[in-house]
Amino acid sequence: MAPSTDDTVSKQEIFNDGFWNNNAIFVQLLGMCPLLGVTTSAENGFWMGLATLLVLMGSNLIVSLVRGVIPAEVRIPAYIVIIASLVTVVELVMNAWMHEMYLILGLFIPLIVVNCSILGRAEAFASKNSVSDSLVDAVGMGLGFMFALLLLGGVRELFGQGELFGFDVFGANYPDVLVFILPPGAFLALGFILAGVNIINMRVKQRKEAALTTLAPVSDLS
Amino acid sequence: MKKFDKEQQKIALTLFIVAFVAVLMLAWVNMLTKAPIAAAQRAALHQSLLQVLPEHDNDLLVDMFKFPVSNKKLLRVFPAKNKKGDVIAYAWEQIAPDGYSGTIRILMGVRTSGEVVAIRITDHKETPGLGDGITKNKTWLNSFVDKMLAKTKWAVKKDGGDFDQFTGATITPRAVVKAVHKGLEMYQQNQDEILKAAKKQKERSLAKQSSQPVGGDK
Repeated sequence: MAPSTDDTVSKQEIFNDGFWNNNAIFVQLLGMCPLLGVTTSAENGFWMGLATLLVLMGSNLIVSLVRGVIPAEVRIPAYIVIIASLVTVVELVMNAWMHEMYLILGLFIPLIVVNCSILGRAEAFASKNSVSDSLVDAVGMGLGFMFALLLLGGVRELFGQGELFGFDVFGANYPDVLVFILPPGAFLALGFILAGVNIINMRVKQRKEAALTTLAPVSDLS
Repeated sequence: MKKFDKEQQKIALTLFIVAFVAVLMLAWVNMLTKAPIAAAQRAALHQSLLQVLPEHDNDLLVDMFKFPVSNKKLLRVFPAKNKKGDVIAYAWEQIAPDGYSGTIRILMGVRTSGEVVAIRITDHKETPGLGDGITKNKTWLNSFVDKMLAKTKWAVKKDGGDFDQFTGATITPRAVVKAVHKGLEMYQQNQDEILKAAKKQKERSLAKQSSQPVGGDK
């Protein structure tokens, strides 16, 4: 295995990369199925995001622990077994102690197995990096995913039902814009959010470039 | 046949170990969560039963009995009893097979006299914001209260009946109304048999209690 990259990449960078620069939803557009399916409200988005975060942390932890032990030829089936087992654990635990939420998310929890961002992180990061780096990566990626679900769920709930986390925001006279709750609304809302994210990223880039041109070039910039 | 070389053995062994550890872990978690899951399901069921039955003095889940509606299907019936032990109402699950997307499961409570106590939707896959009004629209759910087979037109208003449909959703409420109607018809036809089955269940549970040491129940 290649030597780990501990020395060159800081934990902060790994986190930022997972949470924003390489965000599973906003940048890689992975894991669309749970994203579009469950985000009819902010609360659903939050719990689905949390379940995914836990699975991602577990799988990155285990995969980075056994990196080098599992022969390259069978690493994918081994990762899938690990991920599927973790998802089943999360499903059983939710069913036992968060029964109401389980009834709402029920169908989508098993689908975490086929969320490609989880296998993607196992393959692209955890199998090549140290345990601590892999955990930071999982937390960054997982929180990024959760943030995206929460944002989309919030937008859809707010415009679709005039509520946020079940609390009335716009008052009783708000005419619910049903399309936001329906599946097409998920695509629409996601499109606007992606546009927003791109605008933010562009502004940041412009500001950086402006700073570079006004200031004298600094030597320690990579 | 060629013998497996070292590399292949290692691969097979690795996969075996991974699967074995996964199975052990799942078996362990399954053991841990089995009782809490059963308890959570019972609690959820009990919660919905309380919403469709009048005040009662018995344990609904203990007094549950199975009633053969047809020669294939056993219906789980939950009787509500007063202090004297007489049945005052029954609750059971009625399934509407013709929802807009899939089946709708309805828990309905019916007084022995044949009036609906209340209905609640326990499971459905209807469109959020349209058809799922059947779970959220309290006024609509309450329109079933005290309705009986006679004197009520069991259809949505669009079809000339007594029940509201929703804007943009007629199929869903239509399916629910139809299912509740069917349930009431079923009750009227089998009233005597259901009562008999309830009494039989009571005898059985009494026999069980007397065979157990006193205070054995919790």
